[in-house]
Amino acid sequence: MASTFQNLRHSCLKSMSHNRIHKCIRMFSSQSLTNTDVRKKRIELFDKEKERQVGLVTRVEKIEVKHVGIPEDCTLIMNKYLSTPFNCAMHMQELLMTRSALALVNGQPWDMHRPLETDCEIKFLHFEEEDPRIVNNAFWRTCSFVLGHVLETAFQDKFYIELCSFPSPNVSSGSFVYDADLKLGDWKPSKTELNCLSRIGLRLNFADLKFQRLDVPVSVAQDMFSDNRFKRAQIPAIASKSKSGSTVTMYRMGDHIDISAGPMIANTSQIGRYSITAIHDIESPSFGKLSRVQGLALPTQIMLHSWTYDTILRPRAAKLNPGPLPDLKAPETHIQQQLPSH
Amino acid sequence: MLRFRHQMQPRKLKVTPGANPQARINKLREIVTGLIRYERVEPLWYFADEARQYAERLLYLAIKNGDKHKETMELADYWLEEKDLVHKLFKVLVPRYKNYKTCYTDLHKLAVEYPGSGIPMGVLELRGNPWPPIIARQRDTKFILSNMLLTAAKQDFYNTKQQLKSDAATKRQQLIEKSDDMHTIRRTDDSSSVDPPAKTENLMMDR
Repeated sequence: MASTFQNLRHSCLKSMSHNRIHKCIRMFSSQSLTNTDVRKKRIELFDKEKERQVGLVTRVEKIEVKHVGIPEDCTLIMNKYLSTPFNCAMHMQELLMTRSALALVNGQPWDMHRPLETDCEIKFLHFEEEDPRIVNNAFWRTCSFVLGHVLETAFQDKFYIELCSFPSPNVSSGSFVYDADLKLGDWKPSKTELNCLSRIGLRLNFADLKFQRLDVPVSVAQDMFSDNRFKRAQIPAIASKSKSGSTVTMYRMGDHIDISAGPMIANTSQIGRYSITAIHDIESPSFGKLSRVQGLALPTQIMLHSWTYDTILRPRAAKLNPGPLPDLKAPETHIQQQLPSH
Repeated sequence: MLRFRHQMQPRKLKVTPGANPQARINKLREIVTGLIRYERVEPLWYFADEARQYAERLLYLAIKNGDKHKETMELADYWLEEKDLVHKLFKVLVPRYKNYKTCYTDLHKLAVEYPGSGIPMGVLELRGNPWPPIIARQRDTKFILSNMLLTAAKQDFYNTKQQLKSDAATKRQQLIEKSDDMHTIRRTDDSSSVDPPAKTENLMMDR
């Protein structure tokens, strides 16, 4: 008992000292902020929050999960708040594990690695369904998310990349988007450089990283993204839009963490082709000058001839995406929501 | 009136070696009767194609004239060898096909069996029959990601083409207007010097 208490104290001290060091860095030299350090800090906070949330489940309760579809309709007994749709698929067929991008839980799209909460009916979705639009949108959103990872890891540590946001997925626009402040001056990427960027995303296919979802309280989210001026400004608005009004939904893939409402696909092995096609300059009304990075991707499950991909889809994906510009307008609604309580 | 592609000349069908024309008609009557009874039959393709035209004609007249028409009744009596089918024709099939804008039968070609006689077989069926469908339902691939991307690209290409066309048209229009303006300017220049006296002269002449 005493030893566990000591451990707890030790870990508390450790985290405090880390925070203090970080604050010092921020106060005295904003130049030395690097993406590597910031990502490390986010992961630590994420792990701590996840541990806390898992600790809240003290007693394992059972739920009944009814599966509809191939190989057969069946009922599974799973653990409440612990088992995910992926765990359900593990009980049935390998095809369901590798192919399923998303699950429909009681008719609602649900991430493959998000724990189930109640008795439910479950159905697995893949990219060649009769109507795969939900999965397509999840895939497009995931690709934007991965684009954030590519931008944060591609450049040397002396360039501090600040990600801003990405608009809601629109497949028909031909490209997915991430708006970010690259701080690279008048850099125009050559074809080779774009290919190098694409390859980082492409290599994730072999890494087979899963997308984990976590609902995080606002204070923790603020801590995690304290080094990103865009995300810091957006968090109150995002939280006010959430169901409970005070949580922010985070996703984690490997060592990349970002804010997104989801849902996302199961893992990175489902991203078959991935290319970054263009970087455009845009002017946001509230955030100033930003870069709009665009890309094109296809799931592993979908085959397409290279000619079609390279001569029809890629040039189109390089045109400036007409998606909405990043804008900060929600804090007003946040204040309005607070007003009646006064 | 037949609502499908058909041959205008009746075929000579070899029912049996050395058979007379009556044998041909008997064979066709047999197929038409079978079609009305079972709603799906599988004769040789040539027989099926030939019998289809007679069956359609019979159904068309039955719908057009109803069961009070003497000639139609005689025709039904001739083509349907089993007489309980006359009742089915007027009470079941006529109500079913009353509002059809298409033909009432379907004809499918079957694969030629090998080794075998090499003569193609066909499936002749009434539409709206209770059997499972011959052609399986095709999956809709419209919303698969690659297809959505390609459809959007196609639309985009078309739009830019239209835009270019309209741009070229407006440019041409502007050029024409410009040249027209030049002409009118010249004309007004001329008119200022020459025309007014002429006009007054004309007016004078009218008066």
